[in-house]
Amino acid sequence: MSVNLSILVFLPLLAGLLCAVVPGSAARWIGLAASVLVLALSVMLVAAFDPDAGLQFVTDVAWIPELGVRYSLGVDGLNLFLVLMTALLWVPATFVSAHAGYTRPRLFYFQLGLAETAVLGAFLAQDLALFVVFFDLMLVPFYFLIGAWGGADRVQATTRFVIYTLVGSLLMLAGAVALGVLSTPDGGQISFDLAELARRDLPAGSQAWIFWMFALAFFVKAPLFPLHGWMPDAYRSSPVPVLVLLSAVLSKVGAYGFLRIVLPLLPDASARFAELVILIAVVSILYGSVLAFSQDEVRLVVGYSSIAQLGFITLGIFSLDPKGAQGAVMQMVNHGLVVVPLFLLAAVLVHRAGGSESLARMGGIAFRAPVLAALLLVVSLATLAMPGSPNFVGELLILFGVFETHIVYGLVASAGVVLAAVYMIRFFQRAMHNRVGPSVESRDIGRVDFAAVAPLVLVIVALGVYPQFLLGRTEAATVAKVQEAGRLAEPPAAATAKEPVR
Amino acid sequence: MLGSYLPALVFLALGLVVGGVLTVLNGIIGPKRPGTVKEQPYECGLPSEVTSNFRFGISFYLIAMLFILFDIEVVFLYPVAVQLEAFGLFALIEIMVFIFLLFVAFVFVWRRGALEWR
Amino acid sequence: MSLIAQVQAPTVDFRGLSPLIALVVGANVVLLAGLLRGAGVQRVLVPLLAAVTLIVAGALSVAIWETGDVEPLVQSALAMDTLTLSMSLLFYLAGLATIALSLRSSAVGEAGAGEYYTLLLASISGMVVLAAAENLITLFVGLELLSIPLYVLCGSAVRERASLESGLKYLVIGSVGSATVLYGLALIYGATGQTDLGRIAAAIGEQVEVGDPLLLTGIALTASGLAFKASVAPFHQWTPDVYQGAPTPITAFMAVATKTAAFAVFLRLFDAALSTNQVEWGPALAALALATILIGNVGAIGQRSLKRLLAWSGVAQAGYLLAGVVVGTRLGLQATAFYLATYLVMNMAAFAVVIASERVSERGDDISSVEGLGARSPVLAWPLTIAMLGLAGFPATAGFMGKFYLIDAAVDGQYAWLGVTIVVGSMISLVYYLRVVAAMWMAPDAPPLAGPVRRMSPASGGSPEADPRAQPETVAVALVCAALTIAIGIFPSPLFDLAVQVGTSISGI
Repeated sequence: MSVNLSILVFLPLLAGLLCAVVPGSAARWIGLAASVLVLALSVMLVAAFDPDAGLQFVTDVAWIPELGVRYSLGVDGLNLFLVLMTALLWVPATFVSAHAGYTRPRLFYFQLGLAETAVLGAFLAQDLALFVVFFDLMLVPFYFLIGAWGGADRVQATTRFVIYTLVGSLLMLAGAVALGVLSTPDGGQISFDLAELARRDLPAGSQAWIFWMFALAFFVKAPLFPLHGWMPDAYRSSPVPVLVLLSAVLSKVGAYGFLRIVLPLLPDASARFAELVILIAVVSILYGSVLAFSQDEVRLVVGYSSIAQLGFITLGIFSLDPKGAQGAVMQMVNHGLVVVPLFLLAAVLVHRAGGSESLARMGGIAFRAPVLAALLLVVSLATLAMPGSPNFVGELLILFGVFETHIVYGLVASAGVVLAAVYMIRFFQRAMHNRVGPSVESRDIGRVDFAAVAPLVLVIVALGVYPQFLLGRTEAATVAKVQEAGRLAEPPAAATAKEPVR
Repeated sequence: MLGSYLPALVFLALGLVVGGVLTVLNGIIGPKRPGTVKEQPYECGLPSEVTSNFRFGISFYLIAMLFILFDIEVVFLYPVAVQLEAFGLFALIEIMVFIFLLFVAFVFVWRRGALEWR
Repeated sequence: MSLIAQVQAPTVDFRGLSPLIALVVGANVVLLAGLLRGAGVQRVLVPLLAAVTLIVAGALSVAIWETGDVEPLVQSALAMDTLTLSMSLLFYLAGLATIALSLRSSAVGEAGAGEYYTLLLASISGMVVLAAAENLITLFVGLELLSIPLYVLCGSAVRERASLESGLKYLVIGSVGSATVLYGLALIYGATGQTDLGRIAAAIGEQVEVGDPLLLTGIALTASGLAFKASVAPFHQWTPDVYQGAPTPITAFMAVATKTAAFAVFLRLFDAALSTNQVEWGPALAALALATILIGNVGAIGQRSLKRLLAWSGVAQAGYLLAGVVVGTRLGLQATAFYLATYLVMNMAAFAVVIASERVSERGDDISSVEGLGARSPVLAWPLTIAMLGLAGFPATAGFMGKFYLIDAAVDGQYAWLGVTIVVGSMISLVYYLRVVAAMWMAPDAPPLAGPVRRMSPASGGSPEADPRAQPETVAVALVCAALTIAIGIFPSPLFDLAVQVGTSISGI
């Protein structure tokens, strides 16, 4: 059984184009059907995946021969579950949108389809230039989705979002071209193929500045601490289905980029700057946790907790340790899985509280809304990495990895785990218990939201029970990605003992 | 290589400095004794008799310009005419084309009424 | 006597000259046809003849297409190589689009259809001569033949003060530019003793030193003069005023075709004649490119007039293009040619929408005239959106590919920092490009007219809700150009192939 990745990638876009021409009432169902179809395809992909076979289902044709750019897609352990996660999360997002009844539905579902194509393309691209294309393309639909369907100050929010992210992306474009050109051996043919680039040598001096161009792009996308300026406004102004995708899926592309591109292609620079990036990650964990604890708006509580979570993921990657990287991959999937139900349930709570985003105006509905409370409890516990949840496994692996290489930072980061418990429990208490808020309507979760959230909660529980399903398939690819940089990052005494290859 | 730009840069900097210094110095140490005569626009010789709103007719310019154009282009024909044998058939064809283009221009000018005095 | 007798008739390759001959013949026919009276002649026949002329010239250009460093024509005055022919095709396309956009323009009626389209054709033939110039003399003749009709065209809306002002301003500034070029060319001739570009290249390093002051002064003056035409900073100040005042179809033509012609001659002069001292002029041009990118993008930020905004963005784009000249490599030549083609389709799409919307809006070309366009008429909003995203360099548009190629060329030519400057410029440009997109799709209903906005009577007399179908040719230009922008962004290979063929035209690099 084989899956054509081009179909997987472009199916949402084709459906989106179809949505753009059919009557508005039909558009939403076409959009939903397409997202389900994409999910089915990705499940088939996981089923057919061979954990020992490396890169699979490869599509590789010349796209721009003059520039050495290839249209090259492939699946390995690193992106397999990110693709599945994207496809899985797009279904509830589309489902919720379909029931929310947005104006101009044809445009809306076109943009949503374009967005899914861009994200899947970025995850599957095996050519650096192609990755940049899809990475930048993601911005266009999100720009429109936030700007045209968002809440107050949407134009300002979306402009800030796009400028922040595109600043990163364009720097990455320059970095990518420079990487391709500068690593071309004399007389050789320029190539952007990731596997080929990993084989070529790039002087450490060039690696340094190219590294930061990529790193900035990925930091902004995540977002991590000093570059998160777009996050509060964009999170406040996004429509809920867009918000969940923004937080759950888009943020992972940055982290994924580190593993797919930066570590294997720029191992010298990765090893050299690992400690600095780890510092940024740890600061992000602490900063995000503290702000998540002090926010009153539910969206921002979850938003800042995401910064902390992304800090953990980055920490795992730059521990340059196989265990840490594995934990990071696991945590990418976990975070996507928990943040979507969190935002969807938060939206329900906001609705119950008469449209107020403020935690202070919520509360006291746990008894009258037991299903809602139960779902939120499971998701909250998963977010704070309760043993038995998949997040526990992920964070544990990350911390193992960090303790192996940077024990001090590991100790500080462990505090983040505790802080997560603090802010999530505060969130749950304020939202569910305490006194009943002034205009809270105590009704249980509606059928639509339940149908969107419940399957995700089931997946979380299942993954908590059997994490090996994911770990077993991702291990080989992930370990390979950090190997080179990890070897270079070893203490100088050990490194000099070996023959320096690069 | 960038070293070869040094003279140009020095020149540029000197120009800016000298210009700036002179302007500033003028403003600071120059005597300022304004008077009504000094405020008036400068004109040499006798007071002008011509009023400023005097205008030539626009047709004058048009005719004069067309005359100059065609006049100069006809001058062009002379050397070729004198040495036509030396230049040969090619020059004859070239000149015919040239005259034809002049003719097109003439027809245009004529039909658009530029030759009528208004 | 004996001297004259020795004069030989030059060998003229009529096949190679055929596109130029077609243009000149067409210009004459259009001029004479314009003398006939009757609305049918003026509104249909004359533009049709002009369009046919361009199509014939284009077909002839394709027919004589030949890769490699071809032998120059007319005693090495003109080179009809791939660089000339590809640039010519761009001129013809820009000309065709301009004709379509002019059909309902009031400027044509005021100036007379015959004159208007003849001047357009004359300007295009000047561009072809300029792009083909293998000799300093032909270069200057081409430059003037390009410029003089444009001065008139800018002022062709004779009943509008702004148009006349624009024409006069362009005349004064353009003359300064031409004079500077002429002075520079004279000094280059003085230093090398040659007017032929190939011989100049041979003389540099042999008869004359690479760093000869006379030669360098000549190069500097020529570059400055051409920078006027290409609106490269700091010689760009005329651009916003002239672009804003000129009739919008002419603005579109100038923005696209004049810039292309200026860069064609930049490429030929610097890559064919002066490539040996790239080390000397490279840093200076790079500094100009840096200044142009920054000044153009920063200047565009505060603009409310779409024409001024596009003018400033054109300045910035000139900076990007200059990066391809700076490196003086074959890759740079190809990247510049490629970017010029993408620049044409993106700008034409944008200008077509500006024209369509200013004709039905009483806000003229103010940015508020496109507010809510996404809901009002998506068929216009999409092309402008695509054009703006393309100019900003978003992927899946031609602009992304163009920037990719330019950055590739810059890094490859040891100017990595210039590549970074291009992306920094693109970042700044987002502020104003996205403002236009946001106005179209995200603005609430159009607010009441603010004080400073000049009330204009819609040119077509239509209501603000006027149907875009009332001007199908403008919409068609917008749609075709937008479709090309996307098509090049997704399937760039054919255009890359062409660019590589253009790269073969100059063998010295």
